[in-house]
Amino acid sequence: MPAARDVVIIGGGHNGLVTAFYLAKAGYKPLVLERRPQPGGAAITEEFHPGFRTSILAHTAGPLRADVVRDMRLETHGLKLISPHVAVASFSPDGRVLILYNDLKKSAEEIAKFSKKDAARYPEFRQSLAKVGEVIGKALALTPPDIDQPSKHDLWGMLQTGRSIRRLGKKDMYRLLRWGPMAVADLVSEYFDTELLRATLAARGIFGTFLGPWSAGSSLVLLIRAAADPHPAGLASFAEGGIGAITRAMAAAAEQAGAEIRAGVDVIEISVGNGVANGVVLSNGEEIHAQAIVSNADPKRTLLKLVDPVHLTPTFVAKLEHYRMPGSVAKVNLALSGLPNFLGIDGNIDALKGRIHIGPEIDYLERAFDESKYGNFSREPYLEIAIPSLTDPSLAPPNKHVMSICMQYAPFRLRDGDWESQRVALGDTVVRILARYAPNLPELILHHQIITPQDLEDVYGLTGGHIFHGELSLDQFFTMRPLLDWARYSTPIANLFLCGSGTHPGAGLTGGSGANAAREILKHLKSK
Amino acid sequence: MAARKQTYDVVVIGGGHNGLVNAAYLARAGKKVLVLERRHVLGGAACTEEVFPGFHFSVCSYVVSLLRPEIIRDLDLPRHGLEILPLDGTFTPMPNGNYLWRVNDHGKTHREIARHSKIDAEAYDEFGKAMQAMCRFVKPILSMVPPDPNTLSPRELMKLLFIGRRFQGLSSEDKYNQVQLMTMSAIDFLDQWFETDVLKATMSASGIIGTFLGVRSPGSAYVLLHHYMGEIDGAFRSWGFARGGTGAISNAIADAAREAGAEIRTQAPIAKILVKNGKVRGVVLADGDEIQADVISSSVDPRQTFVNLMEPGQLPGEFLEEVRRYKFRGSSGKVNLALDALPNFKCLSGAGPHLRGAISISPSVEYMERAYDDAKYGNFSRRPYVDMVIPTLTDPSVAPPGKHILSCFVQYAPYKLRPGLNWDDLKESFGNNVIDTIAEYAPNIKDIILHKQVLTPLDLEREWGLSEGNIFQGELSLEQLFFLRPVPGYARFRTPIRNLYLCGSATHPGGGIMGAPGRLAALEILKDIKGAA
Repeated sequence: MPAARDVVIIGGGHNGLVTAFYLAKAGYKPLVLERRPQPGGAAITEEFHPGFRTSILAHTAGPLRADVVRDMRLETHGLKLISPHVAVASFSPDGRVLILYNDLKKSAEEIAKFSKKDAARYPEFRQSLAKVGEVIGKALALTPPDIDQPSKHDLWGMLQTGRSIRRLGKKDMYRLLRWGPMAVADLVSEYFDTELLRATLAARGIFGTFLGPWSAGSSLVLLIRAAADPHPAGLASFAEGGIGAITRAMAAAAEQAGAEIRAGVDVIEISVGNGVANGVVLSNGEEIHAQAIVSNADPKRTLLKLVDPVHLTPTFVAKLEHYRMPGSVAKVNLALSGLPNFLGIDGNIDALKGRIHIGPEIDYLERAFDESKYGNFSREPYLEIAIPSLTDPSLAPPNKHVMSICMQYAPFRLRDGDWESQRVALGDTVVRILARYAPNLPELILHHQIITPQDLEDVYGLTGGHIFHGELSLDQFFTMRPLLDWARYSTPIANLFLCGSGTHPGAGLTGGSGANAAREILKHLKSK
Repeated sequence: MAARKQTYDVVVIGGGHNGLVNAAYLARAGKKVLVLERRHVLGGAACTEEVFPGFHFSVCSYVVSLLRPEIIRDLDLPRHGLEILPLDGTFTPMPNGNYLWRVNDHGKTHREIARHSKIDAEAYDEFGKAMQAMCRFVKPILSMVPPDPNTLSPRELMKLLFIGRRFQGLSSEDKYNQVQLMTMSAIDFLDQWFETDVLKATMSASGIIGTFLGVRSPGSAYVLLHHYMGEIDGAFRSWGFARGGTGAISNAIADAAREAGAEIRTQAPIAKILVKNGKVRGVVLADGDEIQADVISSSVDPRQTFVNLMEPGQLPGEFLEEVRRYKFRGSSGKVNLALDALPNFKCLSGAGPHLRGAISISPSVEYMERAYDDAKYGNFSRRPYVDMVIPTLTDPSVAPPGKHILSCFVQYAPYKLRPGLNWDDLKESFGNNVIDTIAEYAPNIKDIILHKQVLTPLDLEREWGLSEGNIFQGELSLEQLFFLRPVPGYARFRTPIRNLYLCGSATHPGGGIMGAPGRLAALEILKDIKGAA
């Protein structure tokens, strides 16, 4: 007789752990099944070279939703977040550096070195972004309404959102309506003249997506990110011990609340009988029965691979096949024998403690995107970098460093060859570009780890290598994430739920999807 | 002679098709209306001109399908000489010697697409049905004054509710399609239906016409729908020529307006709009004549109206800022050729019926996207998307016997070129590049050209007053549609100046020879006049 559980959660990424926590807190005994040797999904710290540890994939938090941090009491489970004063340092090939601090006034002073006009407009931009972001933040915490039969609860939520939109006042309300569909390049150009500043801010609208700064809708991505963090360029939000410390604390919180986590077990099938999910099958043949199955895996992996499609209508399958997950990010982690010597910072090491942005012009970013449209990785890529060992020396041996680089664009589908044949070229390209800004970098490299979009799919289970479990775009947002009418964490298969980034709100390491999903799943479990 | 004192109820600025529609509706309601057109011909961008002896070019706009049926009916345009001749099909030559030739005949098109992909042939029928459903949903919105989301007036909320209810009423399949059309890129949308590259490329083309979007830019799916909405004789998605050229449409509307009592003057450029105490008083013409009017209805674009024809202090600063922010970004040009014979396509030679429809140079999705890439960095496309028609095959009256006209719409031709380039210097090479592009498919083209007329976006701005050469008086991008067009808070044809209205393509529902903005604005003006009385 196979074991029976009340809830099984497939995948121990941060959203799976958040869902597990809330379900356990409500008195259920969820079992989290993680395929890899440790939970954490894309939020993990690992040793990639003897003595060198880093955040293998994501290197900054979303940041996390405040209620999630509070409810899970992550600090008491050992989480120490690090917020360096510098949010981002953006390098230009002419040797100039733009530093944006967390502090508004200091940022404006830095911007004034480039343009007094831009410095004057910066606070206004930040304020509008914060106001608009706050309203979007409210929508992000909502379960998207039922389109056909909105419940009283749905209508109430919509009404509340409608009210907060109204409270924005005329000017910001129109901003909210007008900005969403815009190209982020247009948005930042409405405020600023300095190309380096424009590009640094626009980067937030393209990170992790298959969009260029001139793609319409990229402003929406910026706004979704701004909802979690109104800093125009985004804060540097690190954790002591790397990003894996976040999911470690989450796992501890979930376990303390009563969840069980098993790592190293691979779910190969969700069993369905008469349209109802009733358990999972592991790769070792073990079957686990459960009243509810929750999948933290992406929607395609869950419903097209783990579920036999015969249980779904052909229309649903066709629609899900068209859910867009074109991965665009590769990751390069470097173990360094010393701190690279970045030009233009005059020995101000603090400038490197936040995030480092390489992508000095809007057109530079757009050209990087252009190549990927035709199936090539960018030869002049956009790089989003962190040197976490500067703020957390425990990650590397004394005086040595780790550098974590998100490289964009690396299209999942290459025109010629496969990613294995391009792996070395990708790493070389990243180092070549970085050497323009830190010429001694190549000689400091002790080891490099290159993670291609193919690795993201094969090793970490991200279909298409998409770090957000699906494009963040107007057509895959809110009531349409992952599909119109299926945005409420349930699926066409009874008792099967989704809780990963492929559900609303998606986007980054915030815990939003997991928390929203838990709320809906609890409603369902209690109604039984 | 001293400046005459002239007084009208309404002065309409600009004698383009929207200005004329606006005037016709106002005159029919008994108003004393004067239309002032800067050029020597009426029609704005919907004009026919004898550019070379015997050759009557539809200089700018060259096909029609969007003209609202209620306007044709209300103004009785056929009686005023409007006759639309059908344009059958779209022919896309391919560099590999193949082609795609879709026609109105359902069976023929089915067989033709099946030659490329059997699956696509089936999907094509389904797609047509789905698009019809989408058009049915969107059409009432085209005839609606956009609601103002910022008011609490029950009447405005009812409109939003009306749209909401209609949306609720759609089947879940249609809802899904509708939402996608409003948000996706043309290619992402078409990818869900079709696998044939040349089919997707050609269909996606209508998603980018007149915009600064690529076929992969989100928002282009909506423009696709905008062009699908065409309606001639009640049939969706049929395009046609006006007998005598596109100008014949404007002339028919002008005729209807005159019959209703409107006065129309050409070569009457306006120097400025007169405003006193936040209210319009009239206009001053370039020759110094002053015309008094209770109402001014401007069919020219917002930049022309608010920046060029008014004094800076007359408008609120915030409003002007929004006007400056409104995006034009013209992206297309036009090459009109007078031909001695017909072009002969390598992939399908001879003067067959494939030349009677649109001929589209859009051989692959990558071709379209690369054309866009050039424009993003301020160059005209090395290999542009070209949409061509040979109107003489349908309406021989526009050229001397045996001669032909090839009218080529060319995209991309960005108004803003990269530093160091200017359109006057590039004009010649731009035109030649188009001809070279066509020659790759129809090599005889170079030998049969008698005359050529090249229009750059700068020409469209200088000669037709289209700011930055945008053929729709402002981009049809999502953030510039419906209650956001042209300026948030002023999407209802009214402006911050009392009795000054907009009635051109820069207002809802936008560009194309549709006439809807002119009509809707007229109805709003009449409502206000009645309310004030």
